[in-house]
Amino acid sequence: MDFSVLLKSLENSSLASSLRSSLYFFPFLEAIHVMALGMVFGTILVVDLRALGFASKNRSFIRISSELLPITWGAFAVSALTGSLMFITNARVYAHNTSFQIKMLLLLLAGLNMAVFHLTAGRTTAKWDRAPSAPGIGRVTAAVSVGVWIAVIFAGRVIGFTTTGAQAKEAPPPTINFDDFLSGTPGDSAPAPSAGQTKRAPVDQR
Amino acid sequence: MNSFAVWLSTTFPSVFLQTHEAWAIPIVQSLHITGIGIAVGSALMITLRVLGWAGTDQTLQENRMRFGPWLTGALCLLLASGLLLILAEPVRELITISFWLKMFCVAAMVLIFNAYQASVRKHGSHWEQTLLKRRSVRLAAVLTFILWGCIIILGRLIAYDHIWGHLSPATKA
Repeated sequence: MDFSVLLKSLENSSLASSLRSSLYFFPFLEAIHVMALGMVFGTILVVDLRALGFASKNRSFIRISSELLPITWGAFAVSALTGSLMFITNARVYAHNTSFQIKMLLLLLAGLNMAVFHLTAGRTTAKWDRAPSAPGIGRVTAAVSVGVWIAVIFAGRVIGFTTTGAQAKEAPPPTINFDDFLSGTPGDSAPAPSAGQTKRAPVDQR
Repeated sequence: MNSFAVWLSTTFPSVFLQTHEAWAIPIVQSLHITGIGIAVGSALMITLRVLGWAGTDQTLQENRMRFGPWLTGALCLLLASGLLLILAEPVRELITISFWLKMFCVAAMVLIFNAYQASVRKHGSHWEQTLLKRRSVRLAAVLTFILWGCIIILGRLIAYDHIWGHLSPATKA
């Protein structure tokens, strides 16, 4: 399926329409998204600071990570769900927004960084569990993780400033009727609202 | 409050932030959310320890010494970035019910956090042996963490104060 068709069908779904037309859904989705992202970042930071040897140096790394990572994943699931619901309300605008694209790339980078950790220092945690810090590559991935998650927060916040009030633009009609230019009434050629577009509740997002 | 907010918006730091709002506000808001992440992570670790669900290899005192300063530091970052956000958009921040409800929750949370820190510092063993076993103490820990949830949600709702309907002063302004 063509990507733009998929985006448009997401936007025109009944779920997206109800989210858009409600005064309450979007604000609460965004608030829960921020809370979940805060939990993701806060718990990852505790684990990363331990791996870096900046805090909790005398505690077991395995214990700290096994206690916290289920919470991190739970919060990430909530964050992904609320983020996806916000995305479908204005899918074409978000998909073409540079900050949104950067945020998605950063999330991919966070995933790759986690994979690198698990394939390297993560394989030998039993050896350095009680050491003050992780071995070299473990410290590098921990530092990258902290930086990437802070960048995710920044990119995410900028989305709200670059999409507020933006509406998805209809693609221009494939054929041009030259009579419209000659008649001098350009307003007549404006595309009619597409089927499935619903009235949008006022959205600030800033 | 209306006239104070309007006056504040004419002061030099406010005008400076308004002039550079395209980059200043997103940066300060992002710093604010980063502070929230650090604060909520630290608050979660303290709550989980009080409930006995995590960090039980540490005493309550050790847990307080590990996460207390981070929570205090995060609160300082939140205060500084929050003040800048008020300066940048005084009317938008101060003339909303969400902001004042948030401030009420923040004040309650700071009082609880400081009282907890002072009490654990002085009576660590009493906490370990008696207080942690009380259901009321465990319930208070859960409610305090829920208060963090309320603070975050209300903070984001400042941008959407219309949801309070006629209760919102923003709708009358």
